[in-house]
Amino acid sequence: MSAATESVVAAKQPDAPSQGANVAKIAIGLGGLIVTAWALGNLFLAMGFYPEWFLDSKIIIAIVALIAGVGGAALLFWFLNQFIEGLPVRLSEGVMPYAFLLPGFGLIAMMLIYPTVQTVNYSLANRDSTEYVGFANYKEIFGSSEFWNAIINNLLWLLIVPAVTVALGIIVAVVADKLSAQGEKVSKSVIFLPMAISFVGAGAIWNLVYAYSDESQSQVGLLNAIVTKFGVPPQTWLQLDTAKLNSLLMMVILIWLQVGFAMILLSSAIKGVPEDTLEAARIDGATEFQIFWKVILPQIRTTIITVFITVVILVMKVFDIVYVLTNGRDNSDVIANLFFNEMFANSQAGTASAIVVVLLIAVLPILWYQVKTFREEQMNR
Amino acid sequence: MAQVQRRKKWIVLGGAVLTTTTLSACLQNPNAVEQGGGAAGLNGYVDNANKDSDKVVKILGAFGGDEQKAFEASIAEWEKSSGIDIQYTADSNFTTIVKTKVTGGDAPDIAFFPQPGGLIELAAAGKVQPIDSVLDYDTLAGTLVPGFLESARLKGRSYGAPMRMAVKSIVWYPKPAFEETGQSTEPKTIQDLAKETDAIKAKGTAPWCMGWGSDAATGWVGTDWIEEFVLRVSGPDVYDQWVSHKIPFNDPQIVKAFAEFAKIAKTDGNVFGGAKNVLNTKFADTMTPAFQTPPKCYLQRQGNFASGFFPKDVQANLDSKVGIFVFPPLEGGYGGQPILGGGDLAALFNGNDPDAIEAMKFLTSDKFGGPWAKAGGWLSPHKTFDAANYPNDVTKKMADIVANADVFRFDASDLMPKEVGSGTFWTEMVKWLQGQSDEATATAIEKSWPKS
Repeated sequence: MSAATESVVAAKQPDAPSQGANVAKIAIGLGGLIVTAWALGNLFLAMGFYPEWFLDSKIIIAIVALIAGVGGAALLFWFLNQFIEGLPVRLSEGVMPYAFLLPGFGLIAMMLIYPTVQTVNYSLANRDSTEYVGFANYKEIFGSSEFWNAIINNLLWLLIVPAVTVALGIIVAVVADKLSAQGEKVSKSVIFLPMAISFVGAGAIWNLVYAYSDESQSQVGLLNAIVTKFGVPPQTWLQLDTAKLNSLLMMVILIWLQVGFAMILLSSAIKGVPEDTLEAARIDGATEFQIFWKVILPQIRTTIITVFITVVILVMKVFDIVYVLTNGRDNSDVIANLFFNEMFANSQAGTASAIVVVLLIAVLPILWYQVKTFREEQMNR
Repeated sequence: MAQVQRRKKWIVLGGAVLTTTTLSACLQNPNAVEQGGGAAGLNGYVDNANKDSDKVVKILGAFGGDEQKAFEASIAEWEKSSGIDIQYTADSNFTTIVKTKVTGGDAPDIAFFPQPGGLIELAAAGKVQPIDSVLDYDTLAGTLVPGFLESARLKGRSYGAPMRMAVKSIVWYPKPAFEETGQSTEPKTIQDLAKETDAIKAKGTAPWCMGWGSDAATGWVGTDWIEEFVLRVSGPDVYDQWVSHKIPFNDPQIVKAFAEFAKIAKTDGNVFGGAKNVLNTKFADTMTPAFQTPPKCYLQRQGNFASGFFPKDVQANLDSKVGIFVFPPLEGGYGGQPILGGGDLAALFNGNDPDAIEAMKFLTSDKFGGPWAKAGGWLSPHKTFDAANYPNDVTKKMADIVANADVFRFDASDLMPKEVGSGTFWTEMVKWLQGQSDEATATAIEKSWPKS
């Protein structure tokens, strides 16, 4: 490095850290941090305890909170920066990234890791989390037929929904690809539309599809209206648990919601398949069918896995649809709904936490696999 | 370099584990509610943080919207004459909020409890002023429907007085069509009613309309029926023991109530569409087939709120299209006429504020509620309330039913622990209707009753 560039660098950083500690900066930084945190804490407490200071107006409180929150955070970071710059240069360089990571990490810890640990903790405690009971909650849930019924149903959901969603998604993507540009746009939009509907909304809509009215009345439910046209008496669809029909009918809803998502990702993957590989296959005399199975499919494998796993994780958490349509009646319960009822209908924090821990453990291998394939994909790039 | 990075990773991981474990090493305080001293004695009083004698009374309740407007209309005149300003706040999450506020030292002056459970819990923690120390208990007991003051009783003292009631023991019928059948509209006993329904059935129409569908809450209509029958088969004392679990849920007296209800609900041709239709009909649509010509069914036993779900043209001419009678007592069971229902209980948290006491006196008297009664949907818990205030004959008849009741009881499923009252009691009633036996149903619910 020449002397000239060195001077430029020095000029650009007028207060470049000196080698030793800068006590003044440390004091300003530390003092500022403490004062800001104290002032902010008191301000926010005052909003709760003395709303009259803010003229009892929620709007004023919201504006003050917004300004104080954003400004306060900026101020905190500035003082933190001062404090670290005041440290001896070797220390300062090492600490700097961590100091700026810490708030983010703290938030994650508070919002994600702490609740997880606390849930495991509560799963070993009694119904209102006031006393440890050992593994009694786990013993109870593993000994209850309802829990096993929910597990079996969840397994069924897992076996059927992701596979069917991906298969339908691929079919739609491939077929739409053959349509005219306008036709493709329209058909894709229609199939994608349900994605915009919330699960609860979809549950309410399909509740009407499966609705039952007495034979003497006109059929409100779409499905019953259709079957009665063919002379079949109306059925109480969501109460038929032979061959898990009610569960299957609810799976249809989730598939209906998710095919659009699968289609969009898979369609772009299919369009990304290099044209020359297809051309080469055609020149070699491969049929369209062979091209799809042997050329396209291997090249969109990673997208298929990504879509599949996303839907798998979604299915593990499936709750809204079951809650709205049957609330687990007639042997159609799933783990998430069982948890919800234990926690919020029965106030059984202990067993509810135990159910969630089981669900968490069940999701872990899938998460791990997803992270692994994602990493591999990144490396292959 | 790689080694240094690995070491750093371990430090970060260690730090994460350390923070989370130190954050989470403890459980919750089991005595959160009990803190803060014992119950007020006869001469003592319960105080809150609000200023006393400032001519402002803060009230917290669960009802908002139109009901809040009607409530405010009913207190307007009193506010003018007394000079006391009542500030009412509605919170749809009342049950949780009131507990947080009271235990957190921010109690309102008065709160309206839709169920006695939460009130008794706070009374046990010494946070509520017993009403006998501020109100004229004997006068209240004389004019109220019997059973209200008992529902808020703890260790011999009552902690809440009602300011509104709801009645569930009502049988609705389509007036012109039912009168055409020639059956009496005033059956004296369940047995009389059964004879009437058999006669209707013989003519080829199902007498009863039933709809239990209520999405995630399906089954609650069935629990009301069982409660009605427990009251009629065994009377209020057994009912109280049943609610407080002093007798098991599968006690023979309770199973008998199931058997009595089965005579109505599980007899072929008695209920329109059978079990399938009952479970798939929304409770709000229950009465719709009764207003068809010819009616597909005639009778619905449901609370005073049911009329709000009738078809628009029926609601417009309620008095000419709909009639009601009380769900009668059972011959050979409890002697009197029981009424099942609900109500809002007013409880006082500021026992040394004369303004709050004045407000309590007014709200729990039979003078309160005129404008609200006129607006509709409100019933006074007082037998002595001026029935001329009610907007139509149906409501006046309800007030008459209430005034002639021998005993009132709160809806049992609201008083039972949640895992039963809004859990297994609902789900097992559905299974019962689908064919499960009386005994098996009661035993399954008993098994789910929380141990502690």
